[in-house]
Parts: sequence; structure tokens; C-alpha cells
Amino acid sequence: MEKILLKNLGKPDYHRIDTCIAGGGYKALEKALKMLPDDLIQMVKDSGLRGRGGAGFPTGLKWSFIPKDPTLPKYLACNADEGEPGTFKDRGIIDNDPHLLLEGMVITCYAIGAKTAYIYIRGEFQFGARRLREAIAEAYDRGYLGKNIMGTDFCLDMFVHEGAGAYICGEETALLESLEGYRGQPRKKPPFPALAGLYGKPTVINNVETLSCIPAIIEKGPEWFKSIGPEKSPGPKIFGVSGHVKKPGLYELPMGTTLREIIFDHAGGMSGDRPLKAVIPGGVSAPMLIPDDLDTPMDFDSVAAKGSMLGSGAVVVMDESTCIVKAAYITNRFFSHESCGKCTPCREGTIWLTNILKRIEYGKGRPGDVELIESLCTNIFGRTFCPLGDGAVMALRGALKHFREEFLYHITNKKCMV
Amino acid sequence: MVTITINGQEITVDDGTLILEAARGAGFDIPTFCYQADLMGIGSCRMCLVEIEGQKKLQPSCITPVIHDMKIHTDTPSIVSARAGVLEFFLSNHALDCPVCDKGGECELQDAVHKHGPRHGRFGEVKHRFHDKDYILSPVIVKNSNRCVQCQKCVRVCSEVVGAGVLGSLGRGYEQEETSFLKNTLDCDHCGNCIEVCPVGCFMRLPYRYKSRPWDLKGADTICPYCATGCRMVIEERDGTVMRARGQLGVGINSETLCARGRFGYDFINSHERITKPLIRKYGKLEPVTWEEAFEYVKDNLSRIDGEKIGGIASARLTNEELYLFQKLFRTVLSSPNLDSSTRWDAAAVENFISAADMTGGGTSVFDCMEADTVLVTGTQLSEENPIIDYIVRRISATRPINVVVASPRGMKLDKSAHLSIRHTPGNERAFLDAVTLSVLSAVKEAPGSVAGISRLRGVDLEALLSSAGVSAEEVDALAKKLLVSESVSIIAGTGFLRYPEGSAGLGLLREVLKALGKEVRVLPVLDRCNQRGAWEMGVLPGTGPGYGGVDKRGLGFYSMMEGAAKKEIEALYIIDSDVLGDYHDESSAMDALNALKFLVVQDEFMTATAEMAHCVLPGATFSEKDGTFSNQEGRVQRIRRLSVPPGKARSGLEIIAGIGKAFTPSFVDGARVSSLSVFDEIRQEIPMYSDVSLVFNNKKNTENKLDNREALIKDSGRKIVPPAVEPERPEEEGGRPFMLVTGNHLFSSGRLSTRSAILGELLKGPIVEISEADAAELGLNAGEKVRVKGERFEAVLPLMTNKGTKKGVAFIPENFCEAPVARFFTPGGGVPRVSISRA
Amino acid sequence: MLTEKVKEEIRERIKKYHNRRSAVMDALMIVQRDSGGYISRENMEDVAGMLGMQPVEVSAVAAFYTMYNYKRPAGKYHIQVCRNITCSLLGAEHLIEHMEKVLGVTTGHTTKDSMFTLSTVECLGSCGTAPMMQINDDYYENLTVEGIDEILKGLK
Repeated sequence: MEKILLKNLGKPDYHRIDTCIAGGGYKALEKALKMLPDDLIQMVKDSGLRGRGGAGFPTGLKWSFIPKDPTLPKYLACNADEGEPGTFKDRGIIDNDPHLLLEGMVITCYAIGAKTAYIYIRGEFQFGARRLREAIAEAYDRGYLGKNIMGTDFCLDMFVHEGAGAYICGEETALLESLEGYRGQPRKKPPFPALAGLYGKPTVINNVETLSCIPAIIEKGPEWFKSIGPEKSPGPKIFGVSGHVKKPGLYELPMGTTLREIIFDHAGGMSGDRPLKAVIPGGVSAPMLIPDDLDTPMDFDSVAAKGSMLGSGAVVVMDESTCIVKAAYITNRFFSHESCGKCTPCREGTIWLTNILKRIEYGKGRPGDVELIESLCTNIFGRTFCPLGDGAVMALRGALKHFREEFLYHITNKKCMV
Repeated sequence: MVTITINGQEITVDDGTLILEAARGAGFDIPTFCYQADLMGIGSCRMCLVEIEGQKKLQPSCITPVIHDMKIHTDTPSIVSARAGVLEFFLSNHALDCPVCDKGGECELQDAVHKHGPRHGRFGEVKHRFHDKDYILSPVIVKNSNRCVQCQKCVRVCSEVVGAGVLGSLGRGYEQEETSFLKNTLDCDHCGNCIEVCPVGCFMRLPYRYKSRPWDLKGADTICPYCATGCRMVIEERDGTVMRARGQLGVGINSETLCARGRFGYDFINSHERITKPLIRKYGKLEPVTWEEAFEYVKDNLSRIDGEKIGGIASARLTNEELYLFQKLFRTVLSSPNLDSSTRWDAAAVENFISAADMTGGGTSVFDCMEADTVLVTGTQLSEENPIIDYIVRRISATRPINVVVASPRGMKLDKSAHLSIRHTPGNERAFLDAVTLSVLSAVKEAPGSVAGISRLRGVDLEALLSSAGVSAEEVDALAKKLLVSESVSIIAGTGFLRYPEGSAGLGLLREVLKALGKEVRVLPVLDRCNQRGAWEMGVLPGTGPGYGGVDKRGLGFYSMMEGAAKKEIEALYIIDSDVLGDYHDESSAMDALNALKFLVVQDEFMTATAEMAHCVLPGATFSEKDGTFSNQEGRVQRIRRLSVPPGKARSGLEIIAGIGKAFTPSFVDGARVSSLSVFDEIRQEIPMYSDVSLVFNNKKNTENKLDNREALIKDSGRKIVPPAVEPERPEEEGGRPFMLVTGNHLFSSGRLSTRSAILGELLKGPIVEISEADAAELGLNAGEKVRVKGERFEAVLPLMTNKGTKKGVAFIPENFCEAPVARFFTPGGGVPRVSISRA
Repeated sequence: MLTEKVKEEIRERIKKYHNRRSAVMDALMIVQRDSGGYISRENMEDVAGMLGMQPVEVSAVAAFYTMYNYKRPAGKYHIQVCRNITCSLLGAEHLIEHMEKVLGVTTGHTTKDSMFTLSTVECLGSCGTAPMMQINDDYYENLTVEGIDEILKGLK
């Protein structure tokens, strides 16, 4: 497959606008600005592009919710708060090809009528934030940002907003709270951001990878995009493979590439050729899959059919030396650490689970712990304010589903099976 | 309207109703922690989850509005188990130290677990603890975060209602703790509303901690004795000591909220310095006597003096019944027309204000006022004088598009909620309002025809008005513009109009002009004594009788009585609950006047400087020791209830006044014992405004914040009063004293009750002087340091405080501190005093 | 007291937003960088003043996000080692133990000479090059025990 998102990865100086333009950058913008905004939205709808942040919501549909009233200020917020453990795909684009993202954002703003755009980047990505600021400055210089972009009436300001260490800000309403200078706790919905988002105004929030797909869709057309991968979740997808593989890294592949192909063909197979034990297909919220699931096509619907989710496409590979109890503990510790504190089940439930898992991991498990964990999962799942608590439960349930025996062994024998 | 089904029952509710409200309205119980009707919904505690058919997940009913045809269930097995699950989570890290927790027995967490389970705990981990010991946040607030349920009500009430915004969250997840800025001691309103809204024992009253179990307290549902807002509260005592005061959710116009004075100023009742026996001066010394002796003594002395030469001053903190009997005693028994209910306001000023604020037209609900398009706050330091009205304005204006305009010399908390804050020079309400009226008139094509008093503005120079008010034409025009586009206007007008009586002419004219322009206009008088309005309506004024009725002969007001005493034209005074010596602008002339009297009766709870001079001292009762009614500033008549008996032989004012009356005329009151209810029946008959008010507390505890008990509002008297003209004040010369001095109540001090409260004394240790930050910077003075405030006749050394929003050249000293009797800076009719301020 | 330079920088950031308050995150980071990796109480009050916020609102923001350090001054080099899933799979705990030994402090603490503060963090988005750590603003990836020794040596 022809690469779209990572095509410039590794090309020297591609973050510079001159190199980028020479390589065909900002061509799509030129084309887009000659079109009507509504036609652009239709194109994105037709392309079948689904959000790459994890939820897979149709991007064009999201844009179409924005009110058309030209007197209303509107915003685009690019979600670059990449924080789901296992995920490092957006960083690949930001560090290497920032103008691809910027071009996608300018087109998006034109389509939805936004005059201000923010890139919410996680605070730890200092390098990436610097790259983006430099790229934005270059784009202003070249007239791709600012007043009367490329000689049209369209004006757009773009800024980088740095987070400061909070996974929850990847949740879109928490991201907005954070942008407004509050603690990043999710807001109640409705109202949805498309009607009342940043500063109470209509706002689109899209992931870096999603926005980076836009230039190609405009340039090559929705049909072309739709022809890549499965019909219901088409397009290219960046898979970030990490863990026990020979060649960890980012791989841009068509949606629907199987896990087996990703791990064995692209990531070079298991390190030390040790047998695969489990794989997390889409960041730690996604329930783990087992070797039997290796032929699952990696697209939104197929992974969901296996009881997990594509999420961010972060593939964490674990070989037989991995203690699943420890992996579950580490994962859960993450969620309790990142729980924002707003709602009761997530705030109190995740730390309780973490404490139990820690005990089991350190040989202090008690009979009944597994049942207690399962009961607590029931009391959290579906009852939290936002999906963070659900993510914690899904991950844990996934581990228990396939490796319950390992937990029981830990409890009974006070030690690890592996 | 939408129709929905809850648990199979079809109900119809307004669009946008929350599921929780709809369900509760239909009688279905849904437990909550974070929901409170008057706070913004956050949907975080997850206790209120309900099932909506067609939706996979349970939904939070407190933030989910109904949609037509929604089918909702509130009691399915999954909801029941979800509730128990949430409660189990609450308890997991909760301290569970109920035996030593103040809240035990009235704790919402205890109650919820009792009702909704779980029946046994499964938490076997080490609990997360925020700290080992309670920590003190203020002289009145102490905190134990280990009991917190993270409902955020404390944070929300502090910012959304109180407007202080001094609480927030530290940390996140299970480490999230609602507290002050880095857990430092609070510099705030100390209102304790964070304590009141706390469902558990996390925020606690420091003065009450470990003092009692709630079931050992005996309470009385009564009215706050401080300002005239008329907040409902429960005061509770144990073994004869008043332990706490609290608001009640959904009861009274204030619901759960109170200010620092109301919530913590109760301890004056427990004072050991109360007078407990009637005293008669014998051989120059006050000696205890029986009540019978005292009554005879008063009768003997008063009956020897011509009625015209007797004067009566009764505090506006007495009940309607006491005040009514007091004026009845004077008018019918003693044949004296000399009555007043304030030692601070000139009677003519009062009558002008009553007329300008249209108080004869009956009650004005603050909630009706908040329906207006524009709300103008003028002549009042509202945030400090009537804090709960400040809360109501803030809370309601945040939920509806209302132009809030604050016009005052000093900055106040409400400025943050205002669309326009105007700083005018003190004492110039009239110039300011006249300028606004002129601006309004200049913007309308056709001036309204017959507006009484409008001719006054003919030929008036706008520039001169602006310059004396110290405001710009832009500010005045901006306000006028808001008034012009409004269909309804409310004016919240305070004691500034009583202090500077000319202002009432400006207020009355603006009201009339706006009315003539077809606008719905309401004036809400905001007053600073709990029964000031009642005192006026009972007829404790020299110029109007009960219900603003006419009088045969105009009597003397307070100032005239004092002057009359000095000239021996007044020979006897009967003073209740007023320390005229402390309040008078000139101590030595007050002393001379009182010394010149043939007979002075003082009825009080405490031995004041004035009481020390009396021939007869009658020990009275505090508000907590008597039954009766107060009329709040809105004209809402509300009952106060007796919690305990007065100390020693002290008696309620009603019994004392009736006793004196009966000594003269046995038929003065019906029956052997006077009761507040029988006197109120007489009031109903004599004062038509009061004939229909209901004394039943009928806004029973509700969670929907329906606080407007309209049946308690008095009705239109159908009368208009023609107030005497007031002399224009002659402004005091600048004389090298650049500051204009204003006075009034402080948030923690509003007169003799508050200065007797040890708890309030902790919050404001003594008098202070406040100037603007800018002036302090120019003078090189810092907040906290001692400065010398020098007026023409009086000076004081006081700690300096600064206020960011105050107009330059304005200084403020609170009233009522004996250490700095601010009245000494003033001369009646002498305008705004000038003072200089320098490092002491 | 905020320096004029810091104030100017904050004023510049305010311009990015349609609401002064939005600049609080930038402002805190600017203050922290300028003050040796630590945000003092006084500085929070000053930031609140500049942004029209209550001090408690500023502390709430500072205490919500893990990158702000307001509790106690940190070392010159703040070492944050990732211990989340991928890094853990590839030996992060071992590296942390090693660093504790080399630096002579347990995680969450600062060396006596105030040179290093050692902490652990949850996923820095660098899983493809795990295990990894961040020292001040910079990422160090594909770590080994030997590599760490080398890096620490370079920082002394």
C-alpha cells in the first residue's frame, strides 16, 4: 500500500516547510479552498473515515453537526494528548511530518467554519510541541495560516496548547476543560462539543491521525480512500507495535491487516522467537487477545467482534515470560493514577482494584479476590462518568477471561506461574 | 410540556426538567449526594442512576433532562445494586469514625447506607488517609478530608452562591481533596455554607466540634436576628447553652445558606453579662427589685410627666408584637407622640425612603425582583450588609440573562457578578440617580407626561450632577441604556438612602419615570436590622401610625428627643435595646441630654453605658427567648420561636411593655397573660396590610428550591405618605482631609449583638479602616498596619484594610464598635465627613 | 515575585486564547521553568492575579497535572522513568532499581546535592523505543543499564 500518513517518516528535514512543499505538501489545501465547505464535509463523509483516537466515530458526520450559523465562533481542537499506554503513533506524525497535520487542520477549519484552532499536545512531548510551533510559524510565513489564506477570504489562527500530565485530557470534554484552564475533568453531555464546546462554542475535536488523513482524501478523492481496507472502516491505519517483538515501531498498513501480519510480517516476529502469550490490540483499555485471535483483521468492527477494540491501534505484544497478573496490575495502576476523581466508581473503584491486584502480584492474594474483582468490575462498568473507568474494567476483564487460572495460581501459591 | 413514564406512571412535566426532579415530583425517591437544586449539576456521585428504556447504560438522573416519551425506571434490580455499589465505594476509603464524628446521627452517608445498603463491607485494603488530625481552616471551620464524598458542594456553594471562590480541589483521583488554597488558613466570608452543604463530617463548625450529639440538641425554627433579610434558621441548645445555628435546605428564602453573622453570631445569647433582675436607682445606685415594684415605679414617674414630654425609642430588633404594644403604650396610655425606632436614621429620612421605595404598597418578593431584566443595586454595601440577598442575586443572575448593575462607593463581592459596576462618591446617590434619570429622559423621544417631581430636574446641569457624583457620562448612559431596553427593572436600595436622605428623591423619581415609560418597576428595600420594616409598620415613628396611618400630631424623632432633653423639653425617655450613648455623634452632649432627664427607663439584655445612667433598668430577652414575628425587608412576616427561657427574672419585651401598660390601665391587654398571638390578632385588625398574612411556615422542606413563601407577604396599605422635606446636607469642607468617610455594617459586625459574640469577635477582632488599594499604594501604606484617621472633631487609630474595587478617596469604618464610635466623625445633616489617613 | 520576563512571557501566552484563564497551564510551566522546576505559593498567587483567577483555582490546576511541581523544590535534573506496560515488559523495574542504587535515593526523592530527583511515571508515549525515561525536557529511549550509567555520567 502506498503510504499516506508515514510517507515522509525518516526523510531528512521533512518537518521544514520547504522540503514539505517540494514533496507535494499543501497541494490538498489549495484544492480544498476552491471548494465549498459543505462539499468538503460530504467528501469526508463519503470517504468513510472514522476517528483514529479510539472510538471510531465517523469524522464527516461529526463535522456535519457543527451549526452553519456564520456569526457563531467555532473551534477545532486537535487531540494530540496521546497517552494510552502502548500508543506512540501521533508522535510519529508530529515529530516528522508536522505540516501534514497542519494541512489537515487548515482544511478541516475551512470545512467547519472555524477561525481558531488549537493543538492540545501532551506536556511531555516537548520536542513535538517545539516542532509544531516551528511548523505553525512557517505556515504563517507562507500564508497557509493567518489572514486571507492563499488569497481567499478564509482566515485562521492556530496555536499549540501544552498539557501537563493527565491522560484524562484525551477525553474530548476533559480536553476542553483543560484548554479553558480548568482541571481536566470531563463535562456532562449533552450539550455535545459540536454545539457547546470550547468557551461554550461549537467545536470539533479530532485526533492527529484522523486529521492527517484529510489531505489525502481531498487530493485523491473519497473513493480512493474507501478502497483501502474494509468497507466499514476504510483507510490507512498506523499500528504502533511494542513489547516482545523484534522490530517494534510504527507501521502504516491498511485497516483490516491481521494481527498475525502486523506482528510477524511487519514487526519481525517475537523477540527471541519465544511463543506469543497475549496481545493488547489497541492500547491498554483494549481487552487482550490470545494466539487464537491472531487472524483477526485489525479494523474497528472485526476487533470488536472478538470482544476487544481497535482503540488507538497500539499493539502491545507479550510473550510467554509475561506475568499476566503483573500486566493487569500495571495496567490498573495506570487507570487509578489517571482517574480524575470526579465520579465515585472510577475514583474509588480503580484504586481498590489496584490494591487487590498489587496484593495478588506480591503474593498476598486471598481466596475470593478474583470474585471480588469481578464484582467490583460490575460496579464500575457502565456506571462511570466517562469511559476511563470502563477502560480499566475492560482491560482487567480481558485478562481474567483468558488467564483466570493464572490469577488463582498467584493467590493459592503466593507466587507467579511463569 | 413533555409526557414521560416513570415506573409505569405517566406524568407530564415542563421541557428541560431533569429526570431526578420529575421523579421526585411524582413521589419517587432517588438518593443523591452531589445534586442540589441551587447548584450547577455535575452528575458525579452516581447515586442517582436510573434506567431509561432503550439505553444500554444507567443514566445520571440529576443531569439528564427528560425527552418526550422517555420510559424511566428508578427501582430495578440493577439500579438497586448500582446504588449499593456506589455506597460501598464511598465507604471503602471513608474514615468510618462515626463515633467521634460531629455529623454522626445526621449524616447523609449514614442514612443512605442504612437505606440502600450494602449490608456488609468487603474492603480489606489499607485505607487512603489524607491526614491524621482534623485541620483548622478558619476560626469557624475545621476539616476532616478522610470523610469526604467528593460531592464538590462545598466548592460549588463557595463560588456559585457565596461568590468567595476560596475552595477548590487539590490532587486528583482518590487523592483529590477539596480544600483551601494549598490548605492554608482561609481569608474568606467565614459563612460556613461549606459546612452546611457538606453531607458528611468533612467540613465542620469549629465552635461546635465535639460539643454535642445532634440527638441531644433541642431546636427552635426561627429567624436570624441580624439584618432584615429574614433568613430562616434553626438554633439549637443543649443544657441551656445555644450550640449552633443552621439553615435548612429548601426552607426560607435562604434555604441552607446563612452568613457568618447568622451562623456563628448566636453566642451572645450565652453571655454571662446578661441583666437578670429589674433594677431601680436608690440613693444613686441601681438596686434589684421585683417586677411589680418596677412597674409601679415606672408608672409613678411617667404619670407625673406630661405625655408630650415623654419619648420612646425601641430597637428595630424587637418583635412586631412588642413594637406594636410599645407604640400603643405611648399613643394611647401616655398620650405621647414621640416615638422612634432608630438611633441612626433621622425620622424624616425614613419617611422619605418609605415613600421612594413604595413600601406602603405592600410586600416585594426578592424572587420577583430577580425576574427583572435589569437589577440595580444602589445605596447599599449589599455583599456585607445583606449577604443572603447578595447570594440570591449572584445565583439567579448566573442562570438567567439579567443585567446586574452595582452602584456604590466601595467595591463589593457582587461586582464580579455585575455587568456594570459604578463607583460614585459617598452620599451622592441623589446626584447619581438624577443623572441616570436625565440620561433616560434624553434618550426617549417623548418625555412621559405627568411624573410627580419631574419638574425638579428642569434646568439641572448634568455636568454638575456627574461631577458631584464622581461618575462619568459614559457610565450613566450605559446604565440608562440597560434600563431603557428592559421591560422590567428592580432596584435594590439600601441604608445609604437613610444615611443621606436626599437620595430618596432621586430614587423615587427614577422609579416614577421608569414606570411612566411603561416598565414594571420594583424596589426592594434592604435594611440592616431584623425587624426595621416591622418597626415602621407597627408605627414606631413620630410621623406615621400603625400601617403607615396618619397621626394626630407629629411627634419628635430620636435626634429631636435628644435635643429636647438637653433643652428640658423632653423629661422622660423609655429606651429599649439601644445604647444611645454609644451611638450618638457627640458623646458629651448625649450625656448632658440624658443627665437632664427627670426619668430614664432602659430595657435591655446588657448593662450598656446608657443603662448605667437609667433610673430604672428592665431586663429583657433575646430573640431566642421569645415568640413573635419579624417583618423582613421584603414585607414577609415570619415567626420567631422561643428556644429557652430568659436568664433569671428577665422577661420578654412583650411581658414588660404589657406590665407597664397594665400598671396604668388594667385593660391595656386582654387576659391575664399577654401572648404574641393575641397581640398579632390585634395587629391584623388594626393594620390591614397584615390582615391576611399567614404565619404558617408553608414552604416546607423541599429539594427544588421553591423558596418564595408568598402567603407571608403583606399587602398594599392603599396609603401614600407625604414625607416631610429633608434639608439638603451641607457638605463638609475638604480642609486638607482628602478622604470621604463612609460607615455601615461589616460582614462580621453589624451592631450590638455581633460585638457581644465571641465567635464573631474572632473573625473581626476590632474596628478597622478600609481604603482602596490604589490609595494605600499612593500613601505607601500596607494592609494590616495601624493608621491614624483624623476628622474635624474626632480621630482614631485603626488597622488598615484595603479593597481593590473601592473608589479612590473613600474610607470606610464599620459602625457600632465602642472602641471607634464612628458616629463621632459625623454631624447630623453635616454631609459626608472628611478624614485624613496617615501612618500612626 | 514573578520576574518581568516571566510576566511578559505569560502576557504573550494570554494572547493565544479568548479567555485569560486558558493561559494558566502555560503560565505555571513558564514559572516552573524559571524557578528551578518548582512553583511556589507566592508565584501561584501572582499567576492568579495576572489571570483573574482565585489562588485556589491555580493550585487546583497545579495539583491536577502531574508535570507541575508545587510540593517541594526538585533537583536540577528531574529523571522520570516510565514504568507502564511496554517499558515494564522490557525491564523498567530493573532499571529503576539500578538508578536508585546509583543515585542513592528511592523513587520520589531528590539526592542530597539537589542534582537529581528520581520519579516514576506512567507511559510517556514512547513505547516503540521502550524502555525509556525523560530527564527534564528530553527523552532517552531504548535504555540499558550501561546506557543509563553513561547518561548519568554526562549530567554530573
